[in-house]
Amino acid sequence: MEKPSALSKIKKASSLEKANRAGLFFVLPFLIIFAIFNLYPVLHSLRLSFYSWDGISPMKPVGFANYVRLVTADPYFFKSIGNTLYLLILYLPLTVLLALLLASLLNNKIVPKKHFFQTAWFLPYIVAPVSIGLLFRVLFDWSTGAVNGILVKIGLLHEGLNWLGDPKLTPLVLAILLIWSDLGYVTTLFLAGMTNISSEILEAAEVDGANYLQTLFKIIVPLLKPVIVFVTITGTIACLQLYDAANILVNPGMMAGTVGGPGRSVLTGIWYMVDTSRGGSTGRPEMGYAAAITYGLFFVTALFSILNFKLISSKEENYE
Amino acid sequence: MNKIILRIFIYAILIAITLVMIQPFFFMVLMSTYRTQQLGDVLTLRPGGHLMENLKTVLASGFMSYYWNSIKAAVVFTVLSVFLCALAGYGFAKFQFKGKKALYTFVLGSMMIPAQLGLIGYVVQMRRMHLIGTLWPIILGDIASCFGVFWMTQYITSSVPKPIMEAARMDGCSEFRLFFQIVMPIIRPALATLGILQFVFSWNYYLRPMMTISNPDLYTIPLGIASLSTRYQTNYAAQITALALGTIPTIIIFILGARTFISSLTSGAVKG
Repeated sequence: MEKPSALSKIKKASSLEKANRAGLFFVLPFLIIFAIFNLYPVLHSLRLSFYSWDGISPMKPVGFANYVRLVTADPYFFKSIGNTLYLLILYLPLTVLLALLLASLLNNKIVPKKHFFQTAWFLPYIVAPVSIGLLFRVLFDWSTGAVNGILVKIGLLHEGLNWLGDPKLTPLVLAILLIWSDLGYVTTLFLAGMTNISSEILEAAEVDGANYLQTLFKIIVPLLKPVIVFVTITGTIACLQLYDAANILVNPGMMAGTVGGPGRSVLTGIWYMVDTSRGGSTGRPEMGYAAAITYGLFFVTALFSILNFKLISSKEENYE
Repeated sequence: MNKIILRIFIYAILIAITLVMIQPFFFMVLMSTYRTQQLGDVLTLRPGGHLMENLKTVLASGFMSYYWNSIKAAVVFTVLSVFLCALAGYGFAKFQFKGKKALYTFVLGSMMIPAQLGLIGYVVQMRRMHLIGTLWPIILGDIASCFGVFWMTQYITSSVPKPIMEAARMDGCSEFRLFFQIVMPIIRPALATLGILQFVFSWNYYLRPMMTISNPDLYTIPLGIASLSTRYQTNYAAQITALALGTIPTIIIFILGARTFISSLTSGAVKG
């Protein structure tokens, strides 16, 4: 091959430089839109969180007062976090366990119509959480709901339970809703992970006389760990940011009603923030305090993500 | 023999689970054919005769305009978002410029920040920009998707060969023509995947629209569904019919493209 002459080298280098400068122009539109509509609102929220403001009258700087109130004098903020954690305990382990069992049922040669089942189970995940909230509200209705109808008919209950009027039962309904809507999605993730496990490992287990459950929990689950970690972390974050389904389930319509459901048992952090920004508890919209709530919630979310991460990586050391 | 029994057993479980999973939707459709007083009869599993009446009530209240608003918002949102992310992903994947590493790290870091963090500031911003009476607040806040850029960068890095780009440049192809005529066709699968993700996201989105849209003429389907109970206070049958109207198109479209939808919606998890 001919050696490139000095001139063509320079030419090539300068055209490459030109091309590389074009790279910035490809990235720029995204960065500008991001700065205006994402970065600015986040920083503006931060600024607002140091003010007392109803959205109309002049803003009054209050320093850290909003955050002090959040931590020391606001029972609802901690209640909403507590509600979320309770919901997480009800929902996440059961979802993971059920999805593992379902995925392992699909993961064999005996079931040729995998795709049909997967599609049917995935369906709730794609429907808007708002719709699912209203649907469950109708199904769990105290007097006309199908759930009470079935339970009474088969004799499990004497009379229908007031599912959505009892602070003990409402979180259960919400957990069932979440399990139902996410199960197909999580199953699909697990199934994708399982198909990646080489059949040699599973055959070896069979030769060694491992039964179905032993194979599932001793061999498949450890190999699926990355997916389980993903589901745990995203599930935790999703619970902390829950709003749509919880809101519609107990309080459809955008009018102020029973905020957080009976006994505020399904009040979530976002719901509390939305309600505060509209003047829920005091009758006066508190934009500054609502912004402080979002930052408080973000702090808690970050804390849990780190905790999750630490917990998982320390377990990893034990394995090795 | 044993294998047949096992097969029947597994199928029985799978079918039972499937019935449980789709039961709520089935009840929804059944109940839309009842009168409010009859709703308790759903357990008979027999359809009633009031579907037309319910449909008339719901359509008379302008439910169709929710569809139109949802379609407008979702299409504009999806096109803008996918385009922005593809451009940025291409820039990050195939060029070397000053500050690239820092910018890309910034984009990846921003993926960890939930959209709700800026919500209050966003509402104030939309008011100041006088966009509250339009559909733009639904669209603008999420088009710059950091996940989308990450996804595109990953895809373009591995799928667009450098020699093709260099050959085009040698032929005097401008950088923008290179992107539109050569790169875009190559990355079509990634554009489709991100497009589906963004469309579904926009179609189901509730929180940001609810905070920024107050005019019922601009309601999207989730807002319309959420406002049903204030519209038909005691007419539960009409509420359920509207719910079915808002939900069934999603279900049909999902079933038609199930494979693509499922692989798109789970792709983020598998890659990330």
